[in-house]
Amino acid sequence: MSVSKQNTVSNESRRKFLKQSGLATGGLVLGISLPQTTIAGFKMGEDSTFNPNAFIHIADNGDTLIYCGRCEMGQGISTALPAAVADELEADWTRVNIKQGEGNEEKYGSQATGGSASIRTMYIPMREAGAAAKVMLVAAAAKVWGVPAQDCMADNHFVINKNNQQKLGYGELASLAANEQVPASVTLKEKKDYKYIGKDIARHNQGDIVVGKLTYGVDTKMPGLKYAAITHCPVMGGKLKSVDKTAAKQVKGVIDVIEIPRFEVPFGSLGGVAVVADNTWTAQQALKKLKIEWDLGEHQSYDTKAYKAQLVKNVESPAQLAAERGDITKAFAEAEHVVKATYTGGHLSHSPMEPNASVVWVQKDSCEVWAATQSPADIQKVLGQYLKREPKDIFVNVTMAGGAFGRKFKCDYVHEAAVLSQAVNAPVQLTWSREEDMRTGYYHSINAQHIEAAVDKDGNVTGWLHRAAFPAIASLFDPSLDRAPANNLGDVDNHPFGIANYRSETGEAKAHTRIGWYRAVYAIFYGFAFGSAADELAHKTKKDTVSLLNSIYDNNKNAEQAEQVARSKGALAMAAKMSNWANRDKLPKNQGLGIAVHYSFNTYVAMAVRVEVNGEDIKVLEVDAIVDCGQVLNTDSATAQMEGAVVMGMSLSLRTEVVFRDGAVVNSNFHNYPVLRINEMPQVNVHFMENDYKPTGLGEPGLGPFAPALANAVFAASGKRYRDLPFKPMSM
Amino acid sequence: MSQSIKINDKSYPIDVDGDMPLLWFLRDKLELTGTKFGCGMGLCGACTVHIDGQATRSCVMPVSAVAGKTITTIEGLSENGDHPLQKAWLANKVPQCGYCQAGQIMNAASFLATNKKPSSYDIDNAMQGNICRCGTYQRIKQAVSDAAEEMYKEA
Repeated sequence: MSVSKQNTVSNESRRKFLKQSGLATGGLVLGISLPQTTIAGFKMGEDSTFNPNAFIHIADNGDTLIYCGRCEMGQGISTALPAAVADELEADWTRVNIKQGEGNEEKYGSQATGGSASIRTMYIPMREAGAAAKVMLVAAAAKVWGVPAQDCMADNHFVINKNNQQKLGYGELASLAANEQVPASVTLKEKKDYKYIGKDIARHNQGDIVVGKLTYGVDTKMPGLKYAAITHCPVMGGKLKSVDKTAAKQVKGVIDVIEIPRFEVPFGSLGGVAVVADNTWTAQQALKKLKIEWDLGEHQSYDTKAYKAQLVKNVESPAQLAAERGDITKAFAEAEHVVKATYTGGHLSHSPMEPNASVVWVQKDSCEVWAATQSPADIQKVLGQYLKREPKDIFVNVTMAGGAFGRKFKCDYVHEAAVLSQAVNAPVQLTWSREEDMRTGYYHSINAQHIEAAVDKDGNVTGWLHRAAFPAIASLFDPSLDRAPANNLGDVDNHPFGIANYRSETGEAKAHTRIGWYRAVYAIFYGFAFGSAADELAHKTKKDTVSLLNSIYDNNKNAEQAEQVARSKGALAMAAKMSNWANRDKLPKNQGLGIAVHYSFNTYVAMAVRVEVNGEDIKVLEVDAIVDCGQVLNTDSATAQMEGAVVMGMSLSLRTEVVFRDGAVVNSNFHNYPVLRINEMPQVNVHFMENDYKPTGLGEPGLGPFAPALANAVFAASGKRYRDLPFKPMSM
Repeated sequence: MSQSIKINDKSYPIDVDGDMPLLWFLRDKLELTGTKFGCGMGLCGACTVHIDGQATRSCVMPVSAVAGKTITTIEGLSENGDHPLQKAWLANKVPQCGYCQAGQIMNAASFLATNKKPSSYDIDNAMQGNICRCGTYQRIKQAVSDAAEEMYKEA
């Protein structure tokens, strides 16, 4: 039983901002305040002021509205968290409606939706809010009946008098409950009593999706709306030299052609030229008639093929120290075997199915935004800076995102719509073309990693050198960086492998394009390096990969990592069991089984991948994904996250790569950024480890182990070792 | 005399440049936003509608070319959202972000109209023009298969 002692919930039933929220009066409304320092050992903001981050509103007819402050992009957070609230509230799920909160971090707490953090940080406070509301409803009913509260219980939207089985509905009690004290502490339910937590609950909006009613950022409509298309400078840091607008302006329906200079704040526009018209297609057509000359600037010779080759050189020679422990020189001097390998990977484009789009209406005294976003506060900040207004004066309606994967954390496409709205004095919907989306991204880092591992005569891995070179996300904020900062290798240094003599180094890698968070971020290439190197070591020392991994974990003597070791091993063992690893030699001749486990974003995922290789053709047959994320909130969306990780993992392992030549992206659309299609979909089996650990997120951790498990499987099937992602790039 | 087009049983005049793709006529002129823009090149299938029952990529179909024809969009696939595919989509909890799903469902509906007993290979073949970036393919396959069974079960 867990008792929360934080007074985290406030009664908002009479507060004036209720009116601002447009909620009906009457009933019970609770805001939840985050106990900032106590959530699952995870440090939130430093701010200890009142930070209600969600609302529960029970109307007098019993209709219950739960706000989700975190952004929804398909990961299912707006179902999973409200279901946890409803569980503690003892609500009838069919009476619950869910609404996406507008951009307001003062009200909802952090809305920056990334880092697989929503569940990890919000699970307890959201449940506390539900539990507090339940206590108040019970107290109100007890007063009605004149009995002690302990004689009453809440069940399925009713409070029941245990003495005589009388019932009062939540609707009848809501206004009375609003007069009750918010409890100073609440008792959360025990696992055995969960009704919605950990269950297979459909996402709340799927009914609207299948009939085409759910509106995304790109679907916003309003009277007087103008439509825009944009083309950007193809090279980061370039500038507009000249633009001939004559032909574009003559197109019927064109309202204006507007230059947007680069806005040099993080997440501001890269700079471009836009056409505003009375519909999107006209704007797109007129855009093609612009004659533009760019001054491409300092990055115009960026060429990813040459750059990757240079990264390899940079990691195959000494680089800058990041972290060190033990005596690596001695370990290698005394080694029986040394394995050396270099792993590489290309830039990736997020390419969500909904391209960047937003509507902004800038007026004299107001600015309103409608956009799919992962961080409404960044929109408020950037538009505030641009318009010289207070961030709180930028009202952000957070829409459903048609996929995001990290791209919609950056709000350049919203900033641009603000520029256009101001210029034409009307609400403007800016929709990027697929080509612009692909060519004006914040790309996953191109990367190279060099591993050297020492194995002693007893087969113990005694030394490990991990040298990485990649342009870092930090370059967005400090373009002078010439390599990833040492702390970007923290996840390597703290990986639960037990290696006594260890050294990590960061090699030169200056950014020549915008780098951003892409689903799983650095775990994509760190996972690839760890998982592939372990398999290569096993092959070299003639060991089974699972037992080699176990021996590396067992050599971890750091007591603080005991849990990480145990959970990594647990997931690995289950992957071996499910995939019938012990009998892998009995697979048909062209088939191979590969295995890997990776710890990232506080979650453990092991994957076993079975492939069939015929010549150059790699067919992925089956994937077993074993997840240890502690308590699972929603088995349906958790399973979906793993299926999605396999699909994205296959795209980036096998085929997709963003190629730059002469400073600009060569890819343009899905024909030359060939993401996975249904005909290559393998069977995916997902298993969750049963335990009582605190829940952790799942949006990203599935990607880390996939690529190495696949590479290991291909090696097992064919003897061919792929060390470069993607394995089979298109020739561009 | 202006041409007209029948969409979800309602007739509309084509009062735009005839080269405008049907997609943008639907989205920007009629504000029927269930049909999605994904690529503009007929590569992803998000914009799939039916033209005289046939699945078509509306992003590359000039509106003038479909004058006089009958268009069905996701909003008009069934009266109450109860097409066997829509029901199968819900039962299998197919959508993640959901953005591509209207196109997936419209494509599958056209396919199942002519294939009563699709094999796994048939489904792959018919559905491979529709991209889902969230990765719902496994569930799409199951849902299409379930819907086919429901639609053509022996009375």
